[in-house]
Amino acid sequence: MAQAIDVQGLSKRFGDKLAVDDLSFSVEFGRIVGFLGPNGAGKTTTLRALLGLIAPTGGTATIVGQPFTSLSDPAGTVGAVLDGGMFHPGRSGRNHLRTLARASGVSDARVEELLELVQLKQDGRRRTKGYSLGMRQRLGLAAALLGDPRVLVLDEPANGLDPQGIRWLRDFLRALAAEGRAVLVSSHVLAEVAQTADDVVVIHRGRSILQSSLPELLAQHAGGTRVAGPDVGRLAELLRADGAAVRAADGDGSIVVSDRDGVQVGRMIAANAIVISELAPVAQSLEDVFFELTGTQGGPA
Amino acid sequence: MSRALSSELLKLRTTRTFYALVGSSLGLVLLIVGLAAALDNNWEGNSTPPSIDLLGIAFLCQLFALVLGILAVTSEFRHGTITPSLLAVPSRTRLISAKLAVHLGAGLLFGLATVVLILVLSSAIFSLRDIDNSVGGSELLKVGLGNAFSIALYAALGVGIGAVVRNQVGAIIGALAWIFVIESLLTIIPGFEDTITKYGLGGVAGGLSGSDEFTDGGELLAQVPAGLLLAAYVAIFVIAGTVLLKRRDISA
Repeated sequence: MAQAIDVQGLSKRFGDKLAVDDLSFSVEFGRIVGFLGPNGAGKTTTLRALLGLIAPTGGTATIVGQPFTSLSDPAGTVGAVLDGGMFHPGRSGRNHLRTLARASGVSDARVEELLELVQLKQDGRRRTKGYSLGMRQRLGLAAALLGDPRVLVLDEPANGLDPQGIRWLRDFLRALAAEGRAVLVSSHVLAEVAQTADDVVVIHRGRSILQSSLPELLAQHAGGTRVAGPDVGRLAELLRADGAAVRAADGDGSIVVSDRDGVQVGRMIAANAIVISELAPVAQSLEDVFFELTGTQGGPA
Repeated sequence: MSRALSSELLKLRTTRTFYALVGSSLGLVLLIVGLAAALDNNWEGNSTPPSIDLLGIAFLCQLFALVLGILAVTSEFRHGTITPSLLAVPSRTRLISAKLAVHLGAGLLFGLATVVLILVLSSAIFSLRDIDNSVGGSELLKVGLGNAFSIALYAALGVGIGAVVRNQVGAIIGALAWIFVIESLLTIIPGFEDTITKYGLGGVAGGLSGSDEFTDGGELLAQVPAGLLLAAYVAIFVIAGTVLLKRRDISA
């Protein structure tokens, strides 16, 4: 069977700016793939090209083996929540879903079902201009699910959601993947997808810079063990002699052993009767990994 | 295609825009017709029956229909609903065709309602005032349908203009400026006056509405050629708009 999503050599040029540059990745059914990159990396352009809204300059993007515009049942194949307004402010949430349901041959009963699912039943009659950002995101999600699609594409779905909303979304996406659906979810915040995604695709300036499963990514960038105490200099020598990668931690005289865990370092300490004051695992934050990969700094872009 | 049509019909019905435009234009037209029929004393001795004369006021509804058509496309871009619309109906030709068909139909109903309301109101007032208002059936049909069709075609023209321009304010101002200002200015050019009066947007709508006082003098085209020419203008804008929409990236 064809991959749920398959992007091959995709490029998109806007004027003299190459927004997406020879990008390739795929998403299998039953998996959640986090599509990561800083703002302006080309995520939205990629997703819009995948959905036939933007014509690529080169390469292909297919859903279940076909370009989006050739799908015989688009709503039943792929659902998408893209960034942006997406609603007429003067139309109620329920009517918004109904206009899309009619276009896709979906019943009004399904609309009610989805309003219930995204907890908008109470507000369905209200015009969308009064909706909070979170309600808009949930309405967008309901629209994406109208045709009960096997592939979901979500652009920054956690934007504007409160912590409860993010948790709800995470559980919801996990449930969808558990049903065998493929989910591609973009974000510029790694932590958002860290507890949800099975795999990650990291892009920067339109190019893929990393594709791996999430556990692999975390293992490769695990922080190591930090040791402090009066004799860490001798410990560092012994560890280096043992082949470990040891570096001095910032300023305070402690050392960080990046490829040994606490037990391994502890044995070394005990065997050599070294006095230490502190032994702790270093958790390199996912954000740090992300910044390291994309070469960007934290803080406002 | 029927799914896209059904969706567009529901879109039209589920915002206040449609009701506000139709309601306000009908209110305005009926107010003018009512005042003219009730207060004007120069109806006697006129060559055309007064009710037929007053149907000319229906041109105001043409303008509202034009705006309605423009909004059908431009509001999708303004609010970003073009994205979910194209996700549900990926063929851009089909999306524009559905909007065109729905607005032609809605415009025709709007036009017929305008014509019937003007005739009913003015006839009632003239009979109360004992002013002769005997209208021949064939003339009534000709002028009534002419006005209704010109309203329908203006709604369709709006869809085409909206697809070409996309910017809501720009499309509305541009279209109204063309009709009220630019066409008048063009008639200043020597030797161009008759051409614009006859073949301009305002002129073909006037010809299509079929009021004899102008068409007899040869200033305007006869009803059928005027209608065909207006339909051709609609086709040019709709086709150009569809071609442009197919080439454009939808990025908002």
